[in-house]
Amino acid sequence: MADKTMWTGSEHYLCDRELAQAFHMSRVLGMPLLIEGEPGTGKTELPIQFAQDLGLELFVYPVGSKSTVEQFVAKFDHVKYLRDSQIEVLNAQREEKGLHTSLSTGGRSTEVLDDYVLLGPAAKAYSSANSVLLIDEIDKAPREFPNDLLYALSHRKFVLPESGRVIEVSENDMPAIVITSNREQELPTAFKGRCIYHYIAFPDPDVMREIIAKHYPDAVGETVEKAIKVFYQLRELGLERAPSTRELLNWLKYLKGKVPQEQLKSIESLEGLGALVKTQDDVKRVMRQMTIEGGLKSGPPRYYSN
Amino acid sequence: MKVDLNQVPRGIIPIRMFESFPSVCKNFGVPADVRTLLLLRRGMDRGLVHTVGDLYVLFKGILVKDPTMLGPFTQAFYHYFIGVEIKPGERLSDAIERSQAFQDWLDDYIKSDERRVQMDMDELMDRFLDEVHLTSYDIKRVLDGEEILKKDDPSMKDRATGDDDANAERLLEKAADYRFTDLEELRKRMEKVMEQQMGKHSGGSHWIGHSGISPYGHGGAALGGIRVGGSGGGRMARQVFDDPQYYPVDVDANISDDNVDASLASLKGIIEHTNDLYLDIPLTVKTGVKEGGLFLPIELEKTEDKLQVILLIDNGGYSMDYYIRPVQALFKKMKTRFQHDLETYYFHNTIYKVVYDDERRSNPVPIERILNKDPNYRVFIIGDAAMAPYELHEGSLIAWGRFTEKFKKIAWLNPVSQKHWSITWTTTLLKRLIPMYPMTPRGLEEAIQSMNKKKN
Repeated sequence: MADKTMWTGSEHYLCDRELAQAFHMSRVLGMPLLIEGEPGTGKTELPIQFAQDLGLELFVYPVGSKSTVEQFVAKFDHVKYLRDSQIEVLNAQREEKGLHTSLSTGGRSTEVLDDYVLLGPAAKAYSSANSVLLIDEIDKAPREFPNDLLYALSHRKFVLPESGRVIEVSENDMPAIVITSNREQELPTAFKGRCIYHYIAFPDPDVMREIIAKHYPDAVGETVEKAIKVFYQLRELGLERAPSTRELLNWLKYLKGKVPQEQLKSIESLEGLGALVKTQDDVKRVMRQMTIEGGLKSGPPRYYSN
Repeated sequence: MKVDLNQVPRGIIPIRMFESFPSVCKNFGVPADVRTLLLLRRGMDRGLVHTVGDLYVLFKGILVKDPTMLGPFTQAFYHYFIGVEIKPGERLSDAIERSQAFQDWLDDYIKSDERRVQMDMDELMDRFLDEVHLTSYDIKRVLDGEEILKKDDPSMKDRATGDDDANAERLLEKAADYRFTDLEELRKRMEKVMEQQMGKHSGGSHWIGHSGISPYGHGGAALGGIRVGGSGGGRMARQVFDDPQYYPVDVDANISDDNVDASLASLKGIIEHTNDLYLDIPLTVKTGVKEGGLFLPIELEKTEDKLQVILLIDNGGYSMDYYIRPVQALFKKMKTRFQHDLETYYFHNTIYKVVYDDERRSNPVPIERILNKDPNYRVFIIGDAAMAPYELHEGSLIAWGRFTEKFKKIAWLNPVSQKHWSITWTTTLLKRLIPMYPMTPRGLEEAIQSMNKKKN
C-alpha cells in the first residue's frame, strides 16, 4: 500500500500549505498533479524533495520541444534490431564457410522482441511500486504531446511497442505523478481536466523569509530584510525577466561571503546585481531607476519598455 | 502525536447533495459538470473531506485549471456554501459583514464568551475566515504541535492570544475531538443543505446556519483561543478577491500590460508548419528487414515551427503612442517564446513610397525593399486608420494595394473601438482594402485564424 499520508515538506524544503494539500489530494485520488507558476518558485523541487524525504524512487522525464510519448513510455530500438538481424545472417554465412568464430549480439535474440524495447521513465515508474514520477516543463513539448501523455497515463497500463509486453500498476501502487509547467503555452483543456491543478502564487515577503531561513539558517537578519526589500522593489519595476526566488537565494549566497557590514553596503550599491537581473536591458533599467541609496524613485511609468 | 488522516471512519455521502453546485459554478463562469461530482465523491470516500475548508480545497483542485479561474470559483463557493454574495469589485470582508451567515456566527461567537465583544471587526473577520477555511491540514499541524512550538517563538507573539499557555494540552484534545467527530456532523449539515436546495432554488444555500460553522458545539468553541488557520486559507481567499490576476481578463479590451498573456495565447496560433522531408530511420529499417535486407529510404513530411512577421506601426501623432508600447512589448515577448523573424517599420497615418525603420522616422526604407521579401511574411499593421481624407490619396491606396497583392497574410489591428470605425471615412476605405480587426486579444486571434486559412 502506497503511503498516502499528508506530506508537509522537509527540513530543507518549505512546502506551502496549499501545495501540500493539492499534492496530498492528487495522491489520494490517483491523479497527476499539475503545478504551474513562475520560474523559480520550487515546482520541480516538490517531487524531488518528497522522494528524498521518504526514500522513494524518483523517475524524471525532462520535456523538450522534440519529446514524444515513445521516449516517455518505451520505444523499440530499431537500429539494434537491424544490427542483430544482420549479425545472424552473417553468422549463418560464416558457419557455412566453416568458420567457428561468430559475432555477438550481446545476449539479445531477434526472436525475443522484448530485448529491443528501451524503457522510458514512465514504464520504469510503473514497474516500481510506489515511486515518484516527475514530468518537467511540459509546456516545452510539441502540441500533441500532452494529449498523448494523458492517454498513456489514464490507463494505469502500458503495452510495450512491438513486443506486446504489458506493464500494469495497481491503483495502490500508482506512482505519485507531478507535472510542471512554466505556462509558456496553454495546455489542452482535456489534459488539465485529468489533473489536479495547482498554481504557485509568488511567495510574499513573509513566506520568502521562511524560505530563506530554510536555505541559510545562519544568514544575518538585517541583511535578509534589506535584500528582500530590494528584491521586491526590483520585481515591481516590470522587468523583462523579473527575478525569482532562485535568484534571490543566489544573491544571498554571494553576499554571505562578506562580513555583515560589507553585506549591507553591497546591497545598497546593488553589488552582484548579475545574480538577480539577467538581461542587459533590464540591468540598464535598474540602474536608471534605483538610486545609489538603494531606494526606488517615484513609481515606474505604466508603459515603459526597453 | 501523529494521526493518519486516512484512519477515520468512511462516510458514504449521497452525491445528490451537491448536485446543483456544477450549474452554479457555470453561472459564475467556471466550467463544471457531473465528473466534478464523481471526483468529489471519490475524494470523500477516501477521506479527503472533513471540514468546509477541505471541501474548498478539493473543489479548487478539481475545478480551477488556471489562476484566472480562482476568483470566479471562490465567488461561486462563497455563494453556494456560505451564502456570501460578493458584488463586483467588493472586498471580501465587506461582503461577509453584510451576510446573514456571519451575523449568525457572530451572535454565537460572542454569546459563548462575553469578553469577545471587545474584539475589533478585523479580528472577528479573521476568526470567521479561519473557521470557514479550517482544513485537515491545519488540524494535523495543530496535532503535530507545530502551532505550540510557534508560540514559543517571540516573533509570532501577535498570533497567540496570551492566556492559553495552560490550555495548550486541552486545546490539542479539542482539536483532536474535532478531527474525529466532524464527519457525522458534516453529513447532517449536507443534508440540511440539500433540503434547502430543494425548497428554494434561486436563493442559494447556507452552509452555515444558525448553529455556526464549527461542528464542535457553538461558534468556534472547538478552537477556543487557538488560531489554527493563521496565515492560511482565509488570507488566501482575501487575496483572491483583491487581486485582478485571479480573474479572467477581458479579451475585448485593448492589448495592454494586463492582458498580454491572453494576447500571447492568441499569437501562438501563428506558428506554421513547413513541408520539408526527413528520413524516417526506424521505418526504413523495419521495412528493409521485411524486404530481406533491401533498404529503401522512406521519407516523411517534417513539420517545423517557422514564422516571419513584419510589423508596420503608425506612430505619428500623440494619440497612437499610448497603444504602441504594449504592442511592441507583446511581439518582443513573443520573440523570447518562439523563434521568429520580426521586422518593425514605422509610418505616419498612411504609407506612400517609404516607411521608416526607426521610431523617430529618420531612416527611410523604400517600400519596394519590403515588397521584395518572402510572401510568407505575415504583416500586421497597427494604426487608427484615421486621417484627413486628402492624405489617403490614390498614391497611398496603390501602395497599400501592392502590400495586399504581395502578402496574403495581412491584417490591420485598430486600437479604436470597432463601433467608431464607420464614422471615419478613411477607416471605412482602408477596412475594405485590408482586413481590419480590433486591437484586442480576441481581435488578434481572429486575425490569425483568417491568416491561417490563406495560402500563398
